[in-house]
Amino acid sequence: MYRHIHALQQVARRTISSSVRRQLDNKVQNKQKLFQEDNGIPVHLKGGVSDALLYRTTMMLTVVGAGYVVYELVKAAFPRNKT
Amino acid sequence: MAHQAHAYHMVDPSPWPLTGAISALLMTSGLATWWHYKTTTLLFLGTTLLLLTMFQWWRDIIRESTFQGHHSTPVQKGLRYGMVLFITSEVFFFIGFFWAFYHSSLAPAIELGGLWPPTGITPLDPFEVPLLNTAVLLASGVTVTWAHHTIMEGARKPALQSLTLTVLLGLYFTALQAMEYYEAPFTLADGVYGCTFFVATGFHGLHVIIGTTFLMVCLLRHTHYHFTSNHHFGFEAGAWYWHFVDVVWLFLYISIYWWGS
Repeated sequence: MYRHIHALQQVARRTISSSVRRQLDNKVQNKQKLFQEDNGIPVHLKGGVSDALLYRTTMMLTVVGAGYVVYELVKAAFPRNKT
Repeated sequence: MAHQAHAYHMVDPSPWPLTGAISALLMTSGLATWWHYKTTTLLFLGTTLLLLTMFQWWRDIIRESTFQGHHSTPVQKGLRYGMVLFITSEVFFFIGFFWAFYHSSLAPAIELGGLWPPTGITPLDPFEVPLLNTAVLLASGVTVTWAHHTIMEGARKPALQSLTLTVLLGLYFTALQAMEYYEAPFTLADGVYGCTFFVATGFHGLHVIIGTTFLMVCLLRHTHYHFTSNHHFGFEAGAWYWHFVDVVWLFLYISIYWWGS
């Protein structure tokens, strides 16, 4: 029974350490290849689909926010209080 | 295949200056609508937009430097000048608050009792938590310098350890200061003493949080092999900022905590 536990320990240890090693591998060269590709895409979108999603969300908030500010400023400048 | 005959960086068109400017507009008008109408929507929207802008803009700079190689020696020199000028501007920002403190404390008004600390104010003991905070920040100055040397030597594990230790010390300072704020026998509303104390130490605390975040990003980048032993300006900029935060604390401690008690 102890042999089984020992084997399980060894497998777990090997799995954990190898997955940690995989996570901390030097991926800079891969990134360099991706971002130096001559495809005309600007740097803020060059990383892939997630870049475009994040950009669109940010721009949407920018436009909606700017519109909302104008609305609030007009509301503040022309109060609709009836006393 | 060379596209340019000079060493300078012609950046790609970017939307982040616009989103950043709009976030500033939203945050300032958000403060106004919060204080006048008790609604926080604009402020929250502005802060979210600011965080999104900062994340993407700095992500792009990392891409342009580490992945695209645009940070040549002249470009790096420009960035060094830029960081020095920015920190200098922050020094002047704090000079204003120290001016306010000394203006009120060197010649205390009769309404305060003609003395400093004013009548009714129990200042914090400078030899308790504030002294510990001083030790914490001084130690963090040592650890960040240690981190720099290990990065220059290419010693990966000690670099990660010393950088982690620096971040932990920064977090420890913030936690201690937060506890001090909670336990303090005086508040921001307690006259000019409370005002100068909390505004000066409050802005300093904000800068500690900013500096700690900067160093956390450096730690993350170092785990991903972004820094080389002779090119790691992102880390150096963070370390400079951290030393500046440390020096401001020393002035705060000597002036407000020690002399001011």
